[in-house]
Amino acid sequence: MPSTKVSMKVNGRAVSAEVDTRTLLVHYIREHLKLTGTHVGCDTTQCGACTVHVNGQRIKSCTIFAVQLEGAEVTTVEGLAKGKQLHPMQAAFSEHHGLQCGYCTPGMVMSAISIAERYKGKALTEDIVRHELEGNLCRCTGYHNIVKAVMAGAKAMGG
Amino acid sequence: MYVGQPIRRREDVRFLTGRGLFVDDVQMTQPIAHAAFLRSPHAHAKIRSIKTERARGLPGVLTVLTGADWVRQGHGEADGVWPVNDRSGKPARTVNRPFICVDNVVRCVGEIVAMVVAEDRHQALDACEAIEVDYEPLPANVVTAKALDAGTPLVHPKFGTNEVLETYHGNKAVVDEAFKKAHHITKLEVPTNRVTASPIEPRAYMGHYDPLNDRYTVWTTHQAPHIVRQYFTRSLHIPEHKLRVVAPDVGGGFGMKLYHYPEEPLVLWGAIETERPVKWTGTRSECLMGDTHARDHYTVGEMAFDKGGKILAMRFKTLAAFGAYESQWQASITNAYHFTMLSLAYDIPGIFTQVKGVYTNCTPVDAYRGAGRPETVYQVERLIENGAKEMGIDPFELRQKNAIPPEKIPYTTAIGITYDSGDPPELFRKMKKLCNYEALREEQKKLRAQGICMGIGICGFFDMAGAGPVKMMNDLGAKIGCYDVASVRVHPSGKITVFAGSHSHGQSHATTWTQIAADRLGIPIEDIELVEGDTDRVPFGIGTWGSRSLSTAGVAVAVAAGRVIEKAKKLAAHMLECAPSDLVIENGQFIVKGTDKKIAFAEVSNAAYHSGDRPKGLEIGLEETAFYDPTDCTYPSAVHLCVVIVDPETGHVKLRNYWSVDDVGRVINPMVFEGQVHGGCTQGIGQALMEECAYDPSSGQYLSGTFMDYAIPHATDIPMFGVESHVTLTPSNPLGAKGGGESGTIAAPACISNGVIDALYHFGIRQITQPMTPKKIWRAIQDAKAGR
Repeated sequence: MPSTKVSMKVNGRAVSAEVDTRTLLVHYIREHLKLTGTHVGCDTTQCGACTVHVNGQRIKSCTIFAVQLEGAEVTTVEGLAKGKQLHPMQAAFSEHHGLQCGYCTPGMVMSAISIAERYKGKALTEDIVRHELEGNLCRCTGYHNIVKAVMAGAKAMGG
Repeated sequence: MYVGQPIRRREDVRFLTGRGLFVDDVQMTQPIAHAAFLRSPHAHAKIRSIKTERARGLPGVLTVLTGADWVRQGHGEADGVWPVNDRSGKPARTVNRPFICVDNVVRCVGEIVAMVVAEDRHQALDACEAIEVDYEPLPANVVTAKALDAGTPLVHPKFGTNEVLETYHGNKAVVDEAFKKAHHITKLEVPTNRVTASPIEPRAYMGHYDPLNDRYTVWTTHQAPHIVRQYFTRSLHIPEHKLRVVAPDVGGGFGMKLYHYPEEPLVLWGAIETERPVKWTGTRSECLMGDTHARDHYTVGEMAFDKGGKILAMRFKTLAAFGAYESQWQASITNAYHFTMLSLAYDIPGIFTQVKGVYTNCTPVDAYRGAGRPETVYQVERLIENGAKEMGIDPFELRQKNAIPPEKIPYTTAIGITYDSGDPPELFRKMKKLCNYEALREEQKKLRAQGICMGIGICGFFDMAGAGPVKMMNDLGAKIGCYDVASVRVHPSGKITVFAGSHSHGQSHATTWTQIAADRLGIPIEDIELVEGDTDRVPFGIGTWGSRSLSTAGVAVAVAAGRVIEKAKKLAAHMLECAPSDLVIENGQFIVKGTDKKIAFAEVSNAAYHSGDRPKGLEIGLEETAFYDPTDCTYPSAVHLCVVIVDPETGHVKLRNYWSVDDVGRVINPMVFEGQVHGGCTQGIGQALMEECAYDPSSGQYLSGTFMDYAIPHATDIPMFGVESHVTLTPSNPLGAKGGGESGTIAAPACISNGVIDALYHFGIRQITQPMTPKKIWRAIQDAKAGR
């Protein structure tokens, strides 16, 4: 298969590689960059375990080729904490027991941060959070504690 | 005290920062090769030929293997951990699930026909497409209710029937007599739908073989690594001392990740053949068709009541789908967990049930969170609900009338199981208050007058959790010993590593097991770490399933920690020149009662390893292992209640409220326990409203191959939960703890169904089978309106 060179910034670090053109962003992140926090849970863009931020927007990294992201800025779950200091949304998930097995968690947290950012200064209700989490599936928590965590995390982020 | 506190989880940080280590994350120094599997596209077909030459020649391909190679090399099969036992005395008709098709007949969609190992995933998949298989399709049987009808295609013609086995249980004479004198009889078809656990992490395996040292390693998405290791002695004939099995972080299991799945020995086989680490990570489609499915019972039941609404007896006939083959734990459902719990939370003098296991051309069925009890609760609670309505008795009141009173506990059911603790009437009283039951009924009346269909669903049950004891589970058919194991290793510095034979895949053992150990040892929780999931590090273990780990492994932690303290006390007493009985341990110090004489735990532990001055006969070191076999199962109980609003125009169900009152005995960490209830209920809600592994009845094609076709609940489908506890301690283990992991999946299907029927009963609707999708509900309303 043909390969293509792609350069982008991931978690603030410039990276560049020659990849098989059909490589999905999620596989590029996991297998080339060895950032294995971003997960794959389905093949059809339902589960959201692969959610990352591209140029500040949440996207599902299983649904875009790495080569489409020439020059982009990508943030993965590994890029959130500052040293030992958790991001406020990560801290809120722990505080409210918003994770059990931890597999959907990176995608959930990336999605939750995006929600908090977009609703900054607006009233963030339980209904809005549930609707906004439509693209992220969790099979362990029943969403109860995730919803609580997102609301609390958004507040801690200054929402 | 740590036990009883909602301590924040000690495992959270690695998951929240993307530093978890799941099987697909494991890195190797040698490049990892990838396996891909060619699977049957037919529900039932003869294989005329398999041609692999073209595939072998493609770039990157390392090997292509088929069933013929498996047989030629003399590899084996995996028989049941819980083998089928036909209680009528006839031999059960067992065919174990094959790892790869070895007899040129495929019997369900997804059955593995060939494996390719290649340098990368794409190359392996490309090569799979280049394998030519000539199939001759055969007629398929995918409808459980019709599996034993004349003319239904046979899955295994050598038996001349699709029946695997027949079992029956209960006091038939009492039941027949009760039905003769009953004031009212309710009869209903109560099938449970075929669903699958669908954890978000797909199954994944990696195998590695080191030929120089003759050592094997398998990384697996598994709930019980030691059981896997034993299975490899039968599949690839690898003895335990040569094989290390690692189940690292596992992204949800729910019972489904408990089996020796075909891909597990096959990747190791590929690794042996290629002398490369070989990995396979399932796609969601592969998982939805290859992960074991669950439930799929076709049941008809009858319940007999006296004039006042007292349940006199009930009887059931069930066809329990096995799928195309017997999966390794399937018989734990038909022979242990299904019939045993039929009495639920009620005092019912007569119970009789007949179950026939049947083969269908579908994915094998096995245990999924609840395993048999969701079916049981659904079949009994639907009859109670309809019976109450037909007799004009409030369904809550009728249940209260039949609830087992505390003075009758320990209570032996008509099936012969003894509930050792619990107080069902109190659970109902607490629920009535929690949900404000009378106000809900008033609201329902008011809304109905406005054309809004509100329904209240109720159910109550006992669960059988915490398997063993070993003897009881052996008697119920288990070939594995149902106990568990923990070691407490005190290091010279006084810090501690706990090793446990359980496995956490969301259950929070790193937090709860160390809470237990910290209390027993009297030292801070920060000084204790937990190790699970590695057969080279943990002595042994039966793994985590059936809400058993707290009352087996958790208790083993407490027992081993207790032994450590007993030994440490002897040494401390020697060092302080007092008697061991004079000592108490507080905050990491041994203190002589009533004095200021003390010695630090760390000083004692250092002496345990390095001091020659110790009491005569006291062995060096400070480490204890406990193999804990409980004296009984545990019998948690609960009452659940929900409120649904059904839109009669669209058939859509809005689940407005969901409450539970659970008695799980001693709660180690209430935050963790409540999380278990939320998650379990959500899976049960999924089963009730949207989930179904569907097959096309004419072609046998599998229709639920992606998350677009197999619906699991989204955040918008689920309300906030109201979870309460009522604690009665079990005498069967020293913690008094009962299993709390399965209450939700057991109760919610019945609870939601009763709610929907309650909302629509006035239309004349008596039953809608699960999943109660908008389409089915809308159709039921139209039929009822048209008088059909």
